Amino acid sequence: MGCWSCQAETHAAALCPGCGAVQPLVPGKSFFDVLGLAAVHALDPKALDARYRELSLKLHPDRVGPSDARARRHAVEQTALLNDAYRTLKDPAVRAFYLLKLQGVDLLQDSGGHHPGLPLEFLEEMMEAREGLDAVKRRRDVAAAQAMGAKVDARRRAGLDTAVAALEAKDTQAATRALLQVRYFQRFLEEVAAIEEEAL
Amino acid sequence: MALLQIHDPLKPKGHAVGIDLGTTHSLVASVFHGKPRCLEADVDHALLLPSVVHYAKDGSVVVGNRARALAAQHPTDTIVSVKRFMGKSLGDAETRKLGAYRFSGEAGLVRFEVAGGQPVTPIEVSAEILRALKRRAEAHFNGKVEQAVITVPAYFDDAQRQATRDAGRVAGLEVLRLLNEPTAAALAYGLDKGSQGTFAVYDLGGGTFDISILELVDGVFQVKSTGGDSALGGDDFDRALAGKVMETWGLLSPDAAGVQALLFEARRVKEALTDEPSVTFSALGRTLQVTRAEFESCIAPYVARTGTVCRRALRDAQVEAGALDGVILVGGSTRVPAVRAFVQELFGREPLGDIDPDQVVALGAAVQADLLTNDARQDEVLLLDVIPLSLGLETMGGVVEKVIPRNSTLPISRAQVFTTFQEGQNAMDIHVLQGERELVEDCRSLARFRLSGIPQLPPGAARVEVTFAVDADGILKVKAREQSTGVEQAVTVKPSHGLTDEEIETMLLDAIEHAEDDISARQLREQRVEATRVLHDARKQLVDNGDLLTAAEAEALKAACSVVEEAARGKDHLAIQAALKDLDAAGRPFAERIMDRSMGRALAGHRVEEF
Repeated sequence: MGCWSCQAETHAAALCPGCGAVQPLVPGKSFFDVLGLAAVHALDPKALDARYRELSLKLHPDRVGPSDARARRHAVEQTALLNDAYRTLKDPAVRAFYLLKLQGVDLLQDSGGHHPGLPLEFLEEMMEAREGLDAVKRRRDVAAAQAMGAKVDARRRAGLDTAVAALEAKDTQAATRALLQVRYFQRFLEEVAAIEEEAL
Repeated sequence: MALLQIHDPLKPKGHAVGIDLGTTHSLVASVFHGKPRCLEADVDHALLLPSVVHYAKDGSVVVGNRARALAAQHPTDTIVSVKRFMGKSLGDAETRKLGAYRFSGEAGLVRFEVAGGQPVTPIEVSAEILRALKRRAEAHFNGKVEQAVITVPAYFDDAQRQATRDAGRVAGLEVLRLLNEPTAAALAYGLDKGSQGTFAVYDLGGGTFDISILELVDGVFQVKSTGGDSALGGDDFDRALAGKVMETWGLLSPDAAGVQALLFEARRVKEALTDEPSVTFSALGRTLQVTRAEFESCIAPYVARTGTVCRRALRDAQVEAGALDGVILVGGSTRVPAVRAFVQELFGREPLGDIDPDQVVALGAAVQADLLTNDARQDEVLLLDVIPLSLGLETMGGVVEKVIPRNSTLPISRAQVFTTFQEGQNAMDIHVLQGERELVEDCRSLARFRLSGIPQLPPGAARVEVTFAVDADGILKVKAREQSTGVEQAVTVKPSHGLTDEEIETMLLDAIEHAEDDISARQLREQRVEATRVLHDARKQLVDNGDLLTAAEAEALKAACSVVEEAARGKDHLAIQAALKDLDAAGRPFAERIMDRSMGRALAGHRVEEF
């Protein structure tokens, strides 16, 4: 592929290696590709931040001269993709969901509904926990909500660890099951956060 | 100073400035030799231009301190704190409480009825302030100023941002960027100090409160989170104090002028209490001693409200208060000692205040304007701003599905796939909303459009991809695309601040005229009056003395009248003047004959001897 500005071969890079011009988006790149990182769950958050800043400094539309409309347009597209990639990979849970998507199961888009594969006992247990939380919410008992949240958060972490191990072993089914549970825990924690918010 | 200037055809734009368009006052700043500096903004050489616009009976407009002086006598013709009305409609619960103004007719759109002409919108009032700043800056540079970075509170929604942008256009400014105020403040500090770390910016202005958590590392300024309250500020302190005084004096409902006088005095007392423990409140012929402690108890609930917003912002940024490297104070209201003490308590450290909290936002805006227009500064700090409120779509049951969460870094583009839910459904209504709440009625509606031509598939089979793209200014574009057919619809979200594009266009034209010269506006008015008078006379004479003219002469005269009439409808005073001159020439023989006839009539019946 040739650079739109100097015709040099760009090898699908975001920046032309010849003249440094920001290139149009190339479809099919994963968020890991965008940030130049290996597609694994274990990554150093500091390195991710540094990489993001380094790329922002090169790709952001504010870095393109005010007079070059085409370069600016590409810069907006590239930076939007970079921001999305960074936001997705920065959070360990979202990163796991994204890795699962790369393995073919998209739970990021899927906003709910019943999923086969979750044991009935788990669903019943979550239902009970929810009811318990609703009662606490009615009493405006923030401390009790936080205590329940702490327990669920521990299970969320454990579920995430299970999911990450399954993702590495390419056991997509086990990873899906674990992440579905993680999602239930997350929703529970959002509810706890909302109760805390009201008490701020 | 360079003697030769190299002409750059791509940059005929003159100087770029940073403008802090504030609730109580506004400032303009620019960068000189790498340093930002505020320019004189009012005619009395002050750097702060009170954001007050007075409309006089003769149609003239006064901005700034002179306007503020007129507020007490002409409360409804003098608009103060117009920023609070930006992007709001009369339907918004708070709007009518904001001042003793006369709002014109129809619901929805805010229009102030003022002396000297048509009702004006908040956009036009703000444009008067911007125009005044532009003129002052042009006087300073002795050259054109056509580009500006204008600051807005981080918590401004899309409608408020769009209204601000439109005000800039109406004032004849190309708005390079709408910059969040706290970000601007941090920019002013960051560049001065070259510091690294995580900072909180606590910005309590006249009418708005903002908090931002920012991180500055390796030349990248990253906004981690923002929060705020677009209806909380120093004006509330004034109102609280005035309210307490009214209560003490047993005043139930003073008239508009009385309220203005009380608020004006409350403001003075508030400022004086910064340095003195006790001040005499004196208004409406009465006095009352107010201690600092009394004042502080009046404002305590407002100060406490800022704490809630700060805690939420810290949580969003996942930063502990103790982990901050500094707290920056912005806004005149942070001069109030109780506010400083509260901030110190909240963040556990003494806040930074070595840049004037009134100027710091304008200085940061000037820095950003310089960065955006000056190719030579590419290697300097980069600002990564965030979107302040979540954006989403209405789905089944009036529930909002968030597509872009708040505090996402800009620019950003996100796509989400939706499907149909009815048998035979061949169109989909896309309803774009802004806000954090789950239900449609609790969020702000930004736009609605319909994607039609979806193939009639069983429910759940069609796949409509909706893409939200927000540019670096926080302005949103939405695109919906059915994936099997490629049917597509897109809108740039034009938030409903109530003005159509044509209205903006008309204001723009008016603005250009204004910008040309106020004298020419006055001349236009004068020529129009003259045209009306002359036309009236000429037509009267045609009726009374038309028989003195041949048919051809009468036609020529009527034609000349039409030309004048036409010109008077236009905006070019020189054209009216020229048409009047032609009419005068065409009518001269007629006038002579009329004169002769009236002389004849006057003479008839008199004897020559009498003369």
